[in-house]
Amino acid sequence: MSVKPLSYYRERYIRFQPSPFCPGCGNGIILNCFVRAVDELGIPQKQILCVSGIGCSAWIPSPNFRGDTLHTTHGRAIAFATGAKVYNPDLYTVVFTGDGDGAGIGGNHLIHAARRNIDITVILVNNLSYAMTGGQIAPTTLHGLRTTTSPYGNPEHPFDLVKLVAAAGATYVARWTTYHVVELTRSIKEALQHRGFSFIEVLSQCPTQQRRLFGFRDPMRRLPSRILEMFAESTYIRNRPQRENYLYALPRGEPNEAFKAIEDALKGLEASARLVDHITYGRVVRVDSEDLEAVSERLRNLSAVERLVDALEGKIELGVFVREHRPEFTESLRTLIERAGGM
Amino acid sequence: MVCIGIKDETISFLIGGEAGQGIMRSGSLLGKALMRGGLHIFGVNDYPSLIRGGHNFYILRASEREVYSQGDGVDLLIALNDESVELHINDLYPGGGVIYDEEGKLDPRELRDDVKPYPTPLTGIVKEIGGPRVVRNTVALGAALSLIGFNPETMRGVIRDTFRGRESVIEMNIKALDRGYEYAERNFEGLGCRVEASKRRDGRIMVTGNEAIALGAIGAGCRFYAAYPMTPATPILHYLAAHDEEAGMVVVQPESEIAAINMVIGAAYAGVRAMTATSGGGFCLMTEALGLAAMTETPIVVVINQRPGPSTGMATYTSQGDLLFTIHASQGEFPRVVVAPGDVDECFYLTMEAFNLAERFQIPVIILADKYLAESHRSTRPFDPSRVGIDRGDLLTEWSGDEEYRRYRLTESGISPRIIPGIEGATMLANTNEHDEYGFATTNPEMVKAMMDKRFRKLEALRREIEHLNPVRIYGSEEAEATIVGWGSTKGPALEALRMLEDEGIKARFIQVVYLEPFPDERVEGLLSGDEPKLLVEMNKTGQLGSLIKLHTGITLEHRLLRYDGRPVNPGQICDAIRGVMR
Repeated sequence: MSVKPLSYYRERYIRFQPSPFCPGCGNGIILNCFVRAVDELGIPQKQILCVSGIGCSAWIPSPNFRGDTLHTTHGRAIAFATGAKVYNPDLYTVVFTGDGDGAGIGGNHLIHAARRNIDITVILVNNLSYAMTGGQIAPTTLHGLRTTTSPYGNPEHPFDLVKLVAAAGATYVARWTTYHVVELTRSIKEALQHRGFSFIEVLSQCPTQQRRLFGFRDPMRRLPSRILEMFAESTYIRNRPQRENYLYALPRGEPNEAFKAIEDALKGLEASARLVDHITYGRVVRVDSEDLEAVSERLRNLSAVERLVDALEGKIELGVFVREHRPEFTESLRTLIERAGGM
Repeated sequence: MVCIGIKDETISFLIGGEAGQGIMRSGSLLGKALMRGGLHIFGVNDYPSLIRGGHNFYILRASEREVYSQGDGVDLLIALNDESVELHINDLYPGGGVIYDEEGKLDPRELRDDVKPYPTPLTGIVKEIGGPRVVRNTVALGAALSLIGFNPETMRGVIRDTFRGRESVIEMNIKALDRGYEYAERNFEGLGCRVEASKRRDGRIMVTGNEAIALGAIGAGCRFYAAYPMTPATPILHYLAAHDEEAGMVVVQPESEIAAINMVIGAAYAGVRAMTATSGGGFCLMTEALGLAAMTETPIVVVINQRPGPSTGMATYTSQGDLLFTIHASQGEFPRVVVAPGDVDECFYLTMEAFNLAERFQIPVIILADKYLAESHRSTRPFDPSRVGIDRGDLLTEWSGDEEYRRYRLTESGISPRIIPGIEGATMLANTNEHDEYGFATTNPEMVKAMMDKRFRKLEALRREIEHLNPVRIYGSEEAEATIVGWGSTKGPALEALRMLEDEGIKARFIQVVYLEPFPDERVEGLLSGDEPKLLVEMNKTGQLGSLIKLHTGITLEHRLLRYDGRPVNPGQICDAIRGVMR
């Protein structure tokens, strides 16, 4: 990744400053990764068409990106992009969508575009809720989380979007978080170059709504880094060697008190404990040690510990999941038309 | 109790600032305090549809008499940022005042000469008491109460109730309130407005149209609510999701409006009262299923809170642009009801009526409101569900089994007794294909015609029923020199206009068409047959009620006041227009 000053990207690629997003939003990071990917590939801006629907993610390209944008209705961006791409296959057609927009109301378009293997790139920003309309449940909200429409906990279960889109037939599928900017930028480059339907899910922080979602009580300025740290803690990258010399103790009762009890219990052992946020288990105590068996022994029956959880249990897998090739839709269309004697 | 404003017996406040500065909260705190002080209140908010930020404001108007809408100006501007002063300084009546943060860049000499500046150390006081920046709004409220001579104790009570259980927040806000109050008392001369609380409390409630609709659904015994988030209907979803247990209601937020309305039809088919709510864009997605409800004769209630279109339009502003769309939505012909409440009371009672009509006539009923009505606050007496009651119509809970049950039995009234699926001895076939009496699909021309006629026979009884529901309401002088014609939320500004005109010695009346489909054509025709000048007031571009009136009565309303910039019409605009047509 080449290092250029932020002002270089801003002047070249960004139409409006400041951005319309809340302080600490992940959308700025994603826009940043996108323009860096475009810049590194040297794609002329006039050859890029950005399409988006409704929701915060729709504002990543429109009006920020200095290029052609099509800001459409709720959930339909992929269908519009399909029309534009079929008519003008030379355009790099990129859809920015959110979890509500792309996987909720527009979920049908998403799976069918994947099935067609049309050469568009979908960047789906997953902030685990409907953020713009006030933090309602989305099809990605984790089971049990509190939102404005599930004040007593979400009764539903989330999609695993990577599996969904892969099963539907997408030929490039990846998942990253806003913590993983280098990997995300590289993935966007791959997706733009990929011939076929490419899909990148980006788990993103939304301090405004995830405050309620995760029950974080910190002041707003502390939240973005806390959520990013949680993303780092709660994910692992596939096909990479993993450290496994740690475990999590899920506290019974108040986490701070459980933490003290755990520290006490570990005295004398070569082990370090700290409180961390885990996307699946909430506020938990992470214990690092070369002798996990001894740690387990001490903590297993501690009244302050609900249960012990392995390093990778309950974590979200990141990485590139699908990278394959099969006939692309616009090419197949063209072949058909040629065979029929048209064009 | 006393309430004297600069212009009349009402007092208006405009609280302005950036999103996140607690504008809406301040408005509702002030509204509740004044209401508890024995006043009637009306509050309207204005905010852009941005992810964050942008200019927000809230206008609160209060009086000893009923207040139906915002006025044409304000007495006191509470500016939480300098921009609010720039944007709203000309909304002040001459002699009005502006509270602003003395730490801003504002030069008081640049204010209007006829406006009293009240520079207050909002930030300074917050720093002194060690509070978060957002409580600047409460400091400003304290100063405002002092300027109008209103005892702060009522507001302290409101703060305690609003933040119940959060002691530190209560303490901080009360401190901020008191400091603001003291500062203004020491440093400022009063505004020349005065509001004194009365001891009398008549138990008024302060609700929005959305809350009133949600309460109406609860009152009607609605058991299932499914809706997709869409401004300005989302607050109904929030309200019902938070109160589902008390309400005995299942609340589901599905993946789209298409899913929402189909779930509602499913629940209604299964035998419970069911409702959904959305705005125009969401209703576009629901139109297919609206026809399904009609064809299967499944009773459902759909709430549409209009906002300006086409397409995404302006999510957080108001409009009456969907009237004709609503009346004609979905393919084919079928009877439906479209009813438009004009204030919070009508939101409650018409929602209850909507469920009765839906079930008695086994048709879809649409409640057509808008952002202005749905999100504005008004004080009113507590709602009384027994005034409407629950009538579930011809609903069978058992079947004798003497003959085979026919879901679509051809009856004289057109209403076929409904059963709940799962009842011993009877099967309930609901079919979106044209069907025979049993529910089996048919293309037989006689049966097809018989079924269409059966569905439309219901319309006759429906028309008679609606006649009893006061479908056209008249306010003001019987012998009017001028008539205002409107529907929905323009009712508030129109009623205010009637008062203003009366003060000028002009006798006017307001005709509110409440039931728009089936259209009460004879009533409307009778009322509009006089010679006095008539003014159509709507919040759309083409005068859609005017088109309906023309269609059903042949009467053309030539004078029109149409506002379609997303903002509610002001009473003064209506008065000006009336004076214009009387000339």
